[in-house]
Amino acid sequence: MYLVADINVEICAATSCKLCTQFCPEANTILYNNDAGKEKGLKYGSAYVAVDRCKGCAQCVWVCDNMAKHHAIKMVMIDQLPQAAITDNVTYGEKDTTALLVSQMVG
Amino acid sequence: MSLDYVKFSPGFEKFMPKEYRDMVEHGPFGKKVTVSQMGSFKEILEEHPMCAGCAMTLFIRLAIISFPNPEDTITVGTAGCGRLAISQAAIPFVYGNYGDQNGVASGLSRGLRLRFGDKPKDVVVMVGDGGMADIGFSGTLHSWFRKEKFTTIMLDNEVYGNTGGQESGMTNQGAVLKMAPLGKKFEKMDMLGMAKIAGCAYVATVVPNNPRRVESVIKKAVLIAREVGPTYIQAYTSCNIEYAIPTDKVMEDAKNVENDRYQFSEYVTEDAKQYLAERYGYKEFLPKPAAAISKA
Repeated sequence: MYLVADINVEICAATSCKLCTQFCPEANTILYNNDAGKEKGLKYGSAYVAVDRCKGCAQCVWVCDNMAKHHAIKMVMIDQLPQAAITDNVTYGEKDTTALLVSQMVG
Repeated sequence: MSLDYVKFSPGFEKFMPKEYRDMVEHGPFGKKVTVSQMGSFKEILEEHPMCAGCAMTLFIRLAIISFPNPEDTITVGTAGCGRLAISQAAIPFVYGNYGDQNGVASGLSRGLRLRFGDKPKDVVVMVGDGGMADIGFSGTLHSWFRKEKFTTIMLDNEVYGNTGGQESGMTNQGAVLKMAPLGKKFEKMDMLGMAKIAGCAYVATVVPNNPRRVESVIKKAVLIAREVGPTYIQAYTSCNIEYAIPTDKVMEDAKNVENDRYQFSEYVTEDAKQYLAERYGYKEFLPKPAAAISKA
């Protein structure tokens, strides 16, 4: 098992700074879903991680904790993710990306 | 070299992998994208074999997003870590022998100008410090002295990261590395000074802990290289393996190094300022309004 980044939708959708996306060294990994927070009545969308691309460097955790000061990202073992987005489930809209979230990773 | 090369051949749409379909349908080709839109479009850079947490990858990712016309851009690289990521992008990449990247880019840039005339085709060299300041040093300087119009970007990790940690010309004085156990005895080479003396129209240093600044610097450098002259960007892209930086502290290190020896600096010649202001509407380079007319 290995660690991947997991973003707390509730903290993220309250602020929407998008810094983690801009500091991730992996392309197309931390994506931004404009609708993620709206169903819960939050103000903005939320970032989410395409876990099959995440290499677990935790740079986004440092950026979220120290630059944005939101503490919304944690490293989690991949089999213990509450919800996981994988690249196959990512769809790009005109202005935002969405991921169909599956309940739990298998294996 | 046009938008056609990122389209499907008729009848092949459904056989293409998801990444390719996303690139055609939601990629940045033909649109203007900025770093603030990151995460909402398919990026040109794809999955790559660089180490986890590599700042060089972050810089390459930001640089590729910042190209003003990605569909009209060719990147040139040479041996080193950088090529592992630059070659995994949906824009043409030319890989020469070690150190000949600026020679290759000179020919390429001249050839494209002959073939396409006024239609801008950008050539961007992205090479590590070893390929540029040590092994490709003469080629690099000569291309600048010849005023070849293309952009040269140094990915300065201050070490030969790919071969186990030997010192390079750009390593800081006193740095102890795995293959340089006595510490480097000489000062870091002043490539910025040399670029200015050799006649580059635009010279900048940048650290990837400020994505918007990286974007602005790359855009200016590529635009100036279209008509004014050679441009040079020196980017600090730490090697977290050879300098033993924990991956989650890479940005902290970038910040410290920026404060220590990599302060943002930008040198723009008067010709380049005028070109940017007149052609691309850069307000900061417009001539200042005449000072208040003296009352006398």
